[in-house]
Amino acid sequence: MTQRAGFKASFVRECRFMARSPWDLALLTWIPLLLCGVIAWQLSGGVVRDLPVLLIVQDDSAISRDLAIRIEAAPGLTLAGQVSDLATAERLVRSHKAHAALLVPRETAERALMGQAPVILYFNASYPAAAATIQREVAAVVDAANMRLAAEQTAAIAPQGSVRPAPVRAVTVMAWNAPGSQEFQLVSLLHPALLHLIFMLAVVSAFGRELRDRSIGDWAPDLAALAGKAAPYLAVFMGWALLAILWLAGVRGWHFAGSPIVLLAGYAAMYLAYLGVSLLFVGATRTLSQSLSMTGLFAGASFAFAGAIFPLEQASAFARVWGNALPYTHFARLLARTWIAQGHGMALVGPLLAMLGIALVTAGPGAVLYLRAARDPGSWGRR
Amino acid sequence: MWAAFRGLFAAIAADRAAALLLFVSPVIYAGFYPSAYTDEVVTRAPVVLVDLDRTAASRNLIVRVDAVQQAEIVASLPSAGEAELWMADGRAVAALIVPAGFGEEIARGNPGTVLLTGHGAYLLRASSALGGIGAALGQTGRDAAREQARAAGPPAPPALSLVARPLFNTREGYGAAVFPGVAFVIIHQSLLLGLTLLAGTARERMGADVHITGSQLAGIALAAGVIGLLDVGWFVGLVFWWHDYPRAAAPLADVAIAAILFVAATVAAALALASMFRTRERPLQLVLPISLPLFFLGGLSWPSEATPPVLAALARLFPTSPGLELMVGLNQMGGSLTDYWPAALNLAVLALVFGIIATRRWVPRLDR
Repeated sequence: MTQRAGFKASFVRECRFMARSPWDLALLTWIPLLLCGVIAWQLSGGVVRDLPVLLIVQDDSAISRDLAIRIEAAPGLTLAGQVSDLATAERLVRSHKAHAALLVPRETAERALMGQAPVILYFNASYPAAAATIQREVAAVVDAANMRLAAEQTAAIAPQGSVRPAPVRAVTVMAWNAPGSQEFQLVSLLHPALLHLIFMLAVVSAFGRELRDRSIGDWAPDLAALAGKAAPYLAVFMGWALLAILWLAGVRGWHFAGSPIVLLAGYAAMYLAYLGVSLLFVGATRTLSQSLSMTGLFAGASFAFAGAIFPLEQASAFARVWGNALPYTHFARLLARTWIAQGHGMALVGPLLAMLGIALVTAGPGAVLYLRAARDPGSWGRR
Repeated sequence: MWAAFRGLFAAIAADRAAALLLFVSPVIYAGFYPSAYTDEVVTRAPVVLVDLDRTAASRNLIVRVDAVQQAEIVASLPSAGEAELWMADGRAVAALIVPAGFGEEIARGNPGTVLLTGHGAYLLRASSALGGIGAALGQTGRDAAREQARAAGPPAPPALSLVARPLFNTREGYGAAVFPGVAFVIIHQSLLLGLTLLAGTARERMGADVHITGSQLAGIALAAGVIGLLDVGWFVGLVFWWHDYPRAAAPLADVAIAAILFVAATVAAALALASMFRTRERPLQLVLPISLPLFFLGGLSWPSEATPPVLAALARLFPTSPGLELMVGLNQMGGSLTDYWPAALNLAVLALVFGIIATRRWVPRLDR
């Protein structure tokens, strides 16, 4: 059999198997759709809105009434109610009736005339996503209240000319993601995080299954046959990659700053790298269940180690080494540089080469070990 | 019942993959996962600087910014376009641009404006760095105010000043905020995978219609429950303590009852799901990829207020969503079980419903 015929025969054989095995087919079809769909649906709000905040009113004055109205009006916040002490507020925060409480202490109205009257925001730091939004929004609320107070109140009693804006003003913008949308940041990363894990589970299953079911004897693979078996998975998951991009960039309308072609090349390089690791796991253990467990460890925690949300440079030495060994880490870098922003030259080539490097380093020995197992009937049928 | 109780441990001991999932993985993950978060807060995020003003005021500002712990100036560039290139290539997460005329405006008594640009792909790092720089700008502002005061008299301070104080997770570390939730997803997945793998193996060997008696099922559930509670004890008692994460904020008895509810719901769900599998390896293929969505549905990294209500309601069908709420609540936020009664009730109902499903699937009608 020529190489080309061998490739084609394995390709057709794999597709026929899929057609007969609905659960194996599920890993290529409705499972990626369901899991990516749940993530897309959950974050489709984009920007967090209407987080409940309490007002602890110890100073019943125009200032606290003004703050109450402003909290209610802020897009990210909603007023969950007014209470009189911190203990009640804490209880309400525990029972998820509110995420934070803004304390307006006694005599705030009097102190405000002298300036710098403290108002204290207690926020639930156990829920960081909500806490970040609340801190930003409440700071804006207090700023707005200050502007009004400066105009109406302070100006009346302060020496002329002393009421003026702060001497240094900062204009803050988020480049390429103007609303600071977590949907854009998280979904663009979570979809490939799910896809590479499901891809690797499917490929490990495909190669491991042949050894487990002793069907590898009939199949008698060579390199071309290995490629033919992997090809349907690569094709299907490239399709999911394209859909994931179309969802965010097309349906949700997030701007594509760089080149979709480069990003798709990144997806292909990432899948090839995980294909190499899959072959290595199956070839080394010759046991499907163990290979799947190792897949869980290797590809299941990528999101934490990729340094996309939390900086990898600051993590432990182990985490830095581990993170850089994961193809997904390099993919996440490429994604930031060609989707969200438009990077150039080595900034794009570097991550691509890293992923192809991992593919080469793992697929070589992986294929050797797997083909050796294919010729050793004693190692078949392990569970 | 006790024979089945011992039988589960014997089966795990005899099956390397099951032992790996149920006993070894909670130990591995306890060391492995938090290592990604060792530093807890963002420090020295790379920032580039463009000083188009080049006056004493701008230099003064830069000296202050350079001392900020959250940011490190990695380059001083000639133009804003250059700064954008640096960020696009991933070499910096934020840029500080001081426009020409900044110092002159301040000397005249007008506000001097600087431009802070964060990288939209690195929201956490960029906002931490910019937050630190913002604080440094406040310092510079006070210096500038003194300068201005010579001409115009001292400025009136703002009427209100906002003080932000974290409740509960007072270190505000990202590991301390994420891992105490992740730990319960790990326990959930370890039990779910381990038990479904064992059940799949048993049904494969003994036929799909393998049945057990009610007391045998109870024995297996009890043994799995003991493993789950040991997992909870391991994470809450030792791992959180070792990493100095917030813990043990609520009375021990309340934490224990909550742990029992979470483990009961998880074991019941695992046994119910286990009755569906007929191949040993199938659960690994299908259950592994749900960890990430389960964690996000737990509400720590994405507030449940911002989750579509239908999805938030569906999330209550998994033990992880109420489990995270209850365990993170009691461990970090303190209070007592009564503060979290909806989550506790949710878990009890799940334990009951999944328990009934598991019984109907595993125990033939005569033996119930």
